[in-house]
Amino acid sequence: MTSNKSMTAATIRQWSRRFFLTAAGGIAIATAVWQPVQAQDAEWEKVVEAGKKEGTLVLYTALVGQPSTKKIAEAFTEEYGISVEVLEARASEIRERVRVEQAAGRFAADVMFTSEGQTRLYDAEDKSVDPLPVTPNSQKIKPQFKLQVPMASVMTIPYGIMVNTGLVKPADEPKSWKDLADPKWQGKILADDPRAIGAGYLWFFSTYDRIGEDYVRKVAGQKLVFTRDQRESQRRTARGEYSIYMPVILTDMSDLKGLPVKFVIPEEGVGYVLYGNVLLKKAPHPNAAKLYLDFLQSPTAQKIYASLGNGPVIEGVTEGLPADIKAISEAKLYGTSDSRRQNEMLAKAKDVFK
Amino acid sequence: MTIIHNRSLDDIAETAPTLGGNAVTRAFSGGSIGRLIGMLALIAILGFLTIYPLAMLLYGSLHSTPPGLAGEFNLNGYRAIMTTQNLLVLVNTVGISLAKTVPSLTIAVFLAWIIARTDTPFRGTLEVLITLPFFIPPILTAMAWGMLGNPQVGVINLVWRSISGSQDPLVNVYSYGGVVWHMCQYSIPFLFLFTVDAFRAMDPSLEESSRMCGASRWTTFRKITLLLMLPVLTSSFMLSFIRGIESFESPLFFGLPAGIKVITTDIYESINHRATPDYQYATALSFAIMGLMFLLVIWQWALLRGKSFQTVTGKGFRPNVMELGPWRWVTFGFCVLFFVITVVLPVGQLLLGSFFRFFGFYTYEMLTLEHYRAVFSNSEFWRAVRNTMMLGLLGATATMALGAVVAYVSVRTRWRGRSLIDGMAWLPWMMPGMVLGVGFLWAFAMLPGPIPIYGTVWALLLAYLALGTPVAVRVMTGAYHQLSYDLEECSRVHGASWFQTMWRIMVALAWPAFAVGWVLTFFGIMRELSASILLYSVGSETLAVVLLKLWANGNAEQVSVIGLMMMLLVILFRWVQLRFIKARISKL
Repeated sequence: MTSNKSMTAATIRQWSRRFFLTAAGGIAIATAVWQPVQAQDAEWEKVVEAGKKEGTLVLYTALVGQPSTKKIAEAFTEEYGISVEVLEARASEIRERVRVEQAAGRFAADVMFTSEGQTRLYDAEDKSVDPLPVTPNSQKIKPQFKLQVPMASVMTIPYGIMVNTGLVKPADEPKSWKDLADPKWQGKILADDPRAIGAGYLWFFSTYDRIGEDYVRKVAGQKLVFTRDQRESQRRTARGEYSIYMPVILTDMSDLKGLPVKFVIPEEGVGYVLYGNVLLKKAPHPNAAKLYLDFLQSPTAQKIYASLGNGPVIEGVTEGLPADIKAISEAKLYGTSDSRRQNEMLAKAKDVFK
Repeated sequence: MTIIHNRSLDDIAETAPTLGGNAVTRAFSGGSIGRLIGMLALIAILGFLTIYPLAMLLYGSLHSTPPGLAGEFNLNGYRAIMTTQNLLVLVNTVGISLAKTVPSLTIAVFLAWIIARTDTPFRGTLEVLITLPFFIPPILTAMAWGMLGNPQVGVINLVWRSISGSQDPLVNVYSYGGVVWHMCQYSIPFLFLFTVDAFRAMDPSLEESSRMCGASRWTTFRKITLLLMLPVLTSSFMLSFIRGIESFESPLFFGLPAGIKVITTDIYESINHRATPDYQYATALSFAIMGLMFLLVIWQWALLRGKSFQTVTGKGFRPNVMELGPWRWVTFGFCVLFFVITVVLPVGQLLLGSFFRFFGFYTYEMLTLEHYRAVFSNSEFWRAVRNTMMLGLLGATATMALGAVVAYVSVRTRWRGRSLIDGMAWLPWMMPGMVLGVGFLWAFAMLPGPIPIYGTVWALLLAYLALGTPVAVRVMTGAYHQLSYDLEECSRVHGASWFQTMWRIMVALAWPAFAVGWVLTFFGIMRELSASILLYSVGSETLAVVLLKLWANGNAEQVSVIGLMMMLLVILFRWVQLRFIKARISKL
């Protein structure tokens, strides 16, 4: 009994010691983790305060005329009380403005909203961007959108196929990118020009890589008619000039409701362009800029983009969306272009589509 | 009968009276130091507006990287443009431009003659109406003609098929013909505006003399009327031909689907659609074209040198109109036909479409005023209207004032350096707009810090001044060529100061041309995008920038609403110009 008792006592002591050690270790670890988190929070709070004091943010965007820009800016102002001044121009124009302004020592803009490909040029050639700051929301984005280039990913623009429902019976509708090579579409496809940087080139790049050269050559044999005005081309197809327009910005679906057209998400997935924010060098409002970068990866901004059909870069923001918008927003991403291979691929496109 | 004193400029200068007065007066009235200062001031202004941005572009064409980036000087840009492919594109471009300029000028001259010199009914109203297409953004008329003339479901072809039973389309705007036709939509009204006042300012007694000497009506028209208008006609031809070479919207919209390539689409592609914008290539190509264009200017100088084209002399004349009898209804019919084809058809599409949710879907349930509501409630639009009106009013007035002075010096004096300023004033017209816009960006942004131009409305204003100067100078040159030296001398001999003479003779008599130039410049500013998009700052958006945003977002119907409002503004301006100003001139 005695020995039993002493064993029990020894066991208890032993367990107590273990418990104590474990508890102490746990507290130590928790403290170790908690302290930097707390430090990070405090650090971020300083950024928030400084950003609010700056009061203004100057945003340059290469996405011209998008109502979402204003919507997001208003939401940001509501959240932080920082006003957003937006300057819009097409990608090459806005890039040259930033480059020249910085070369002349005129640092006017804080943040640039642009594509992944353009960011590579800003970073490698113009040296006009700063490294990305680590912000609370930046750690929550999906791994595939954590990039090597200094761009804080925000959303994807998905591209698919548009069909005139007056000219194409439901049974005949193309279901995939591959279907576009069917000879029955010869002379009936209006296409964005693949020989110049743009949506058509994006289609060429992604399908060339994923399906192969034979496929794009077959499509080239379809006597495509080229255009470079995406929105007007949608209308032309709706009016019955062509049966198919490709690739179409799928998020435009809501704007064309009421017209005899259908937007098809190809079985393989959608071509896409990834857009995001870059922090420009010597930004006059650096803290407001960090807040903006963070805000666009927050659920609030991500939900706005998802509601327009854009692909979000964080999980869990597409719940409750109408089925057609949800389908576009969640569409499988099939392929995009790579700016490092642009010269090579443009030459190929010019060769295939002489 | 009026006799033209075909005196050379040398005689005029030698006999010009010398006047006293203050320094400013002396600067412009002939004192050698004052003249030098006046001339240097003009050279400095034009140098800053035209040579400086072009010098930046020249640097870009000779340097491996654009200004501000490390690189080296080389001729790679010029080497890259020397290809057989580019030669073919050049031939194609020149061919298209000639194909549109020659018929445009012929039609414009005929229309101007009908309006200014015949008793065609309602010519006052027709004068305003037939110029309307010029003032509509080209992308809108392109869209309208796309709807009218596409081979599949274009309205014209649908009507043709239902009438003829044919399966083949009557017209296809996505072709060479479509490109040329769309360019004609702009060049005919432009050339008409340029020539109509020259017809008005012509003393009909010269033609009467020709007829009395036995020449036929056609011979008189050819040998007297047209010849007297040589400065105006050659100026207009060149302005229109060069603009044809630089035309962008028509080849892009109608030519691309048909595989038609021109120089500007190549330049556009090299800036916007390559992996990295190739400014060296774009600027080198632009300078090569500019060199070729300048040969044309030299040809015009040689053609006009030593000749006199004065038709407005000291003797009074009645701006005679030819009585056509029953033929006036034929000329009226021609004008109406032109109006229906070039205005009613495309503008009708825009007007109709603006009341429906979507262009081309004209059903009852699609009827809406939403586009008008959207435009009127768009605060950004109203801000742009305010900015553009301010820039337009200031810019057009300043441009015409500068143009009038440059034209006066180059046409009516023999100051040393007058050919230089005339040449300088041509330069912006010869550089494609999208490249010149980059030149302004480089030039204004690279100015030393304390010069606050970049990022302000001044940058836009100066760019518009430079862009409008060629037209302003050409308009005023044409008008000044027609004014006899007697009038100026007479005024000054009777004791009027240089400024009084300028105001009472040179301004009052050239006022119609000034007004036309002002309207052309004002609406040029309203439509200008290439420089505006690179120079506007937050809060100084112009109408063209707002139009681009709306168009890029697929709001074609809202763009049409704005286009139609711009057209209403044109009608108002032209009405004021034709009724009010002309009444005032007669009292001057």
